[in-house]
Amino acid sequence: MSQDQALPRADHGLEAEQPGDGTMAPEQSGPTPTTRRRSLSDTGYAWLLVAPALVIIFFFALYPLGYAVALSMRHVDLTSSVGIGPYVGLDNYRWALHDKQFWVSAGRTGLFALVVVVVEMSLGIWIAFLLNGLRWLKGLFRSFLLLPLAAAPAAVGLIWRNMYHADFGVFNSLVAGLHLPEQNWLGNQRLALPSVMLFDIWQWTPFVAVIVLAGLQSLPKEPFEAAELDGASTFMVLRRLTFPMLAPVLTLVFVLRSIDAIRLYDPILMLTQGGPGTVTETLTFYLYRVGMKFFRLDQASTMALLFLYATIVFCLMVMRRLMRQMAERAERR
Amino acid sequence: MASLQQRPGLRAGDVLRYTTLTVLMVFFLFPIYWMIATSFKAPEDILTRPPKWLFSPVLSNYVFAFREANFGLFIENTLLVSVASTALVVVLGAAASYSFARYNVGKGHLMFFILTTRMMPAIAVIIPYFLIFKILGSSAVGRAIGVGLDRPGALIVAYTMFNLPFAIWLMHSFFQDIPRELEDTARLDGLTRFAVLRKVVLPLAVPGIAVTAIFCLLFSWNEFLFAYLLTRESAKTITVGVAGFWTQRGILWGPLAAAATICVVPMLAFALVLQRHIARGLTFGAVKG
Repeated sequence: MSQDQALPRADHGLEAEQPGDGTMAPEQSGPTPTTRRRSLSDTGYAWLLVAPALVIIFFFALYPLGYAVALSMRHVDLTSSVGIGPYVGLDNYRWALHDKQFWVSAGRTGLFALVVVVVEMSLGIWIAFLLNGLRWLKGLFRSFLLLPLAAAPAAVGLIWRNMYHADFGVFNSLVAGLHLPEQNWLGNQRLALPSVMLFDIWQWTPFVAVIVLAGLQSLPKEPFEAAELDGASTFMVLRRLTFPMLAPVLTLVFVLRSIDAIRLYDPILMLTQGGPGTVTETLTFYLYRVGMKFFRLDQASTMALLFLYATIVFCLMVMRRLMRQMAERAERR
Repeated sequence: MASLQQRPGLRAGDVLRYTTLTVLMVFFLFPIYWMIATSFKAPEDILTRPPKWLFSPVLSNYVFAFREANFGLFIENTLLVSVASTALVVVLGAAASYSFARYNVGKGHLMFFILTTRMMPAIAVIIPYFLIFKILGSSAVGRAIGVGLDRPGALIVAYTMFNLPFAIWLMHSFFQDIPRELEDTARLDGLTRFAVLRKVVLPLAVPGIAVTAIFCLLFSWNEFLFAYLLTRESAKTITVGVAGFWTQRGILWGPLAAAATICVVPMLAFALVLQRHIARGLTFGAVKG
């Protein structure tokens, strides 16, 4: 990084974290009016802005987290006289890692998230490109797209349950119209999970489309005009300009969708309640069953922590690049 | 963007585009149509084989929904909880997000930590939350500010907590896209840092803030699990009210569809009305270079 780029950085409160620039920071704070009263350093000011949000997040995230950690190391069975029992060390972790149902539901959660996120991203990006190329009615189509997104999953999930109804549902009426065999969508071992996936795809593809469309519309025009003058092919423009410039938006959408897909709960509750048998039981639903039906809060907390840990590792891997890009962007300005 | 020609008239590409999009829209809109249609069906028109497309609309499901359940109260609660938590999220989130974008506080690590708080499965935090609100609710402070079990305050706090990470992340890019030069110029003109934030940055960030507020309001309005577990009757929200028609004796499809329509349609209208605003907010980033 060249010196003249480093200079503006020095007076934006980063000098403390930038030892290399520290020496010149005092003289170089020229552009901003340092002659004014400055009771608070930029760093202090920055922390002051973050503080209120942080206090809430810390209290309502760390307390439950600590509570879960505490429960995970005890024997807790609310159905017996034990209640919150003695300290058992890592026994619950050992139990969870040897519990077949834990791994099965974790694998199912992973599969579910993988399928819906891949489909939603592909379909959403495609729709965004289609919309972006429209000359009329763009606003109308975009409004329509917002509708599934705006519908409460709990409410509309039950409507989907009606549409999937084996005897009176719309899906079977459609299938019969096409002369295909009717299905018990939510009651069939093989179809139940894909049926829940379809609901998730219906609800969240518009989210991807709307955000990617926003990203597309916010791209600067100049590079594309230049590329057009140079006679670059559509494919080259996409590969070299559009997608690299969209990368931060795409990564963010990907992470947000992944987190929500693996935490999926409402649709399972409304559509299948984990059934038939346990074929649609995702990890969060298994957690719910262990914690709220069997009242084994220790085991539920343990699995929740393992789940959280896996999610964080996953996000760290995906987001390393995004974080670097963000840091670079922050430094460039 | 890529295509700059503005020639009038219909081209083959357009026809394909509009046809494809129309088919997709049918898929995305049908369940909503089905919900509204079912809500106006008489009981004998609902569970039929094949499903009825033509029927004479009746209002009995709505009458039933309002008579059997206190939907007026549910709507009131939901409105209070969503608006209050959205306001909190926007104010706290904008300050934090601006600080992250402008001063890079915590060098990305803190932002990542904030995101991780959204990864906890709701079911795992619900028991600690239950205890927090039980204790707060029986204290004088909790009673004074209305935070406690089966009080709207509990949901306001819980939703604020759950939407903050999302809001901070969403607004981040909007704040980053505001040219730093504008702020520097304003500082040279003698404005304080806070005045720059208030008079220069926030007005420019309104589209981003609006989009964030829209999403937060939607998430709060539509939330089910917390509302279900943290309320009994007096603070019950509308999504919980809808699920109430899934009774021991089975699902009362007509009233349920009516309740779902009452729950969903305001948010649809909200999204449609603010559609142009969303669009403006989303095109705003063009400043970025």
